[in-house]
Amino acid sequence: MKYLPYILKHLKRHWVRSLLTVLAMTFCIFVFCVLQAFLAALQRGLDSTNANRLVTRNAVSLVFNLPVTYKERIAGVPGVQRVCAQNWFGGARKAGDFKDFFPNMAVEAEPFLEMSPEYILTEEQKRAWLESQTGCIIGPATAEKYGWKVGSTFQLESFIPPYRASKPFEFTIAAIYATDDKRFPGTDKTIMFFHRKYLDEATGRQVGVGTFAVQIADKTQAGAICRAIDNLFENSERQTHTETEKQFLASFLSMAGNLALLLNWIGLAVIFVILLVTANTMSMAVRERRTEMGVLKTLGFSSGKVMGLVLAEAGLLGALGGAIGILFSTGMIRVLAMAPNVGPVVQGLGGLPGPVALAGFALALGIGLIAGLAPAVAAYRAHITDLLRHV
Amino acid sequence: MAMVEVRGVRKVYRRDALAITVLDGLDLDVQEGEFLALMGPSGSGKTTLLNLIAGIDRPTAGSVQVAGTNVAALSEGALARWRSHNVGFIFQFYNLIPVLTAEENVALPLLLERLSRKERNERAMTALKIVGLADRAKHSPRQLSGGQEQRVAIARAIVGDPKVLVADEPTGDLDAKSAEEILTLMDTLNRDFRKTIVMVTHDPRAAQRARRQLHLDKGILQA
Repeated sequence: MKYLPYILKHLKRHWVRSLLTVLAMTFCIFVFCVLQAFLAALQRGLDSTNANRLVTRNAVSLVFNLPVTYKERIAGVPGVQRVCAQNWFGGARKAGDFKDFFPNMAVEAEPFLEMSPEYILTEEQKRAWLESQTGCIIGPATAEKYGWKVGSTFQLESFIPPYRASKPFEFTIAAIYATDDKRFPGTDKTIMFFHRKYLDEATGRQVGVGTFAVQIADKTQAGAICRAIDNLFENSERQTHTETEKQFLASFLSMAGNLALLLNWIGLAVIFVILLVTANTMSMAVRERRTEMGVLKTLGFSSGKVMGLVLAEAGLLGALGGAIGILFSTGMIRVLAMAPNVGPVVQGLGGLPGPVALAGFALALGIGLIAGLAPAVAAYRAHITDLLRHV
Repeated sequence: MAMVEVRGVRKVYRRDALAITVLDGLDLDVQEGEFLALMGPSGSGKTTLLNLIAGIDRPTAGSVQVAGTNVAALSEGALARWRSHNVGFIFQFYNLIPVLTAEENVALPLLLERLSRKERNERAMTALKIVGLADRAKHSPRQLSGGQEQRVAIARAIVGDPKVLVADEPTGDLDAKSAEEILTLMDTLNRDFRKTIVMVTHDPRAAQRARRQLHLDKGILQA
């Protein structure tokens, strides 16, 4: 610690250069932390899926619905315990206003409650929901965000044409579900569920089914049951594609390509560039101070100590940039949690995950130290007389 | 026993295939409390000899004994420690650290010691008082004149209370008045503080302030 003022004074000497390097590192760690937090949020979503649940959708695209009649045939496949028809409603308080959005789905309440133990409701709450045609259940995060309580009413309008009615859908909150992060980590705390039959009645037509959630008795039979379901509709006009809930979510997320790979490559590219920037800064700093290194060695500083000072300076640049980057990314995650599209994904994190922040800081320190290594070794190896001759 | 004993020292520099012999079998004794001036033309080996005595370079052959220690036999780390306790080096161009104040520059060698910040500052202030610059303690090197910078550099050289002071052209970058002040200060350090001083200089007037003058020409000492 006694060398810290000495190191800080050197960083202050070319403060613009030091500041720019710290800012570059800040940007690098900011990008890294935000991307990794986003990936962590996606992974959390995947981890929250139930291995005993399958999802059947239209084989062509999620955009096309399936006939309601498929439900009975799927339910007849050996190994299937329960089937729930569901539709992604895509409703917002103002149609298409994704700045003010929370996820919402139309489901068949009874099978849904049976096969979704992660959304915790008392028997009384379940009954209240089942008895109310416009009733819905909402996540605690959404309730808190809008200050809603049981009995509160609100309106939603879907941007999806088949789900649009002459007027907005009216909803009454029948219950606010609870979650258990120990038993069901990653459970969405924002989503709203309402009755599917309300969707049909309000639109005045049979809108079809977006996906069927299929509960199976034995998760080891998932592959065989998926094939059996899809074989049922092989010669139908609307063929199906069935997969586990985890695969469904993963494929849904990867519709924009291999997102994780893309994000990781972006992160790596940024890290590499910042490594070069920091290495350049440190090389310049050491080159300018060759005589000073010689003086330090003459005064009795060992080569190892001089090398340590250079590394400490580089590490400090990295650590400063890393700490600021983590602060900014923490703020950004909070902002993203309020954003319409990614908000629901990020909200579950409850801020920047600790392991991501730690990894970000370690990365910043690592970049700093690696960047300082070459000039530090040069300072270590240089002979005093050569250093002093460089005046 | 002499404070500095140089015996049969040979120093050869290699530049690619070329070997340049700067010192060849040189012997020298400097007694404790002596003030020696080494003179000679450029390339005569003065600075090389000074560097060997200060332990910042190693002889190709021979031995350099300073304050009872065979400097050439020490490892890199041991030599660094030895330098910090036994030698104070005064450079021609002062070589103060520009980002540090005068006090911090003087206290720099004390970072290697187990001392509190307060103790380091007290010792630095004592050294600055000796060189007459206590009132400039908080000034940075660029706020000081050349003569003042050299005095700060001398304070840095003596702050660890070394046995030997080595000075490489300490007045070479100074005007006559400042040079005189520096020489007077070195004279005081030698006379009042019993510091053994080996000074390399081109300036005959500076050399006259020393108790003994030696001339070095082509690596050979002449009285």
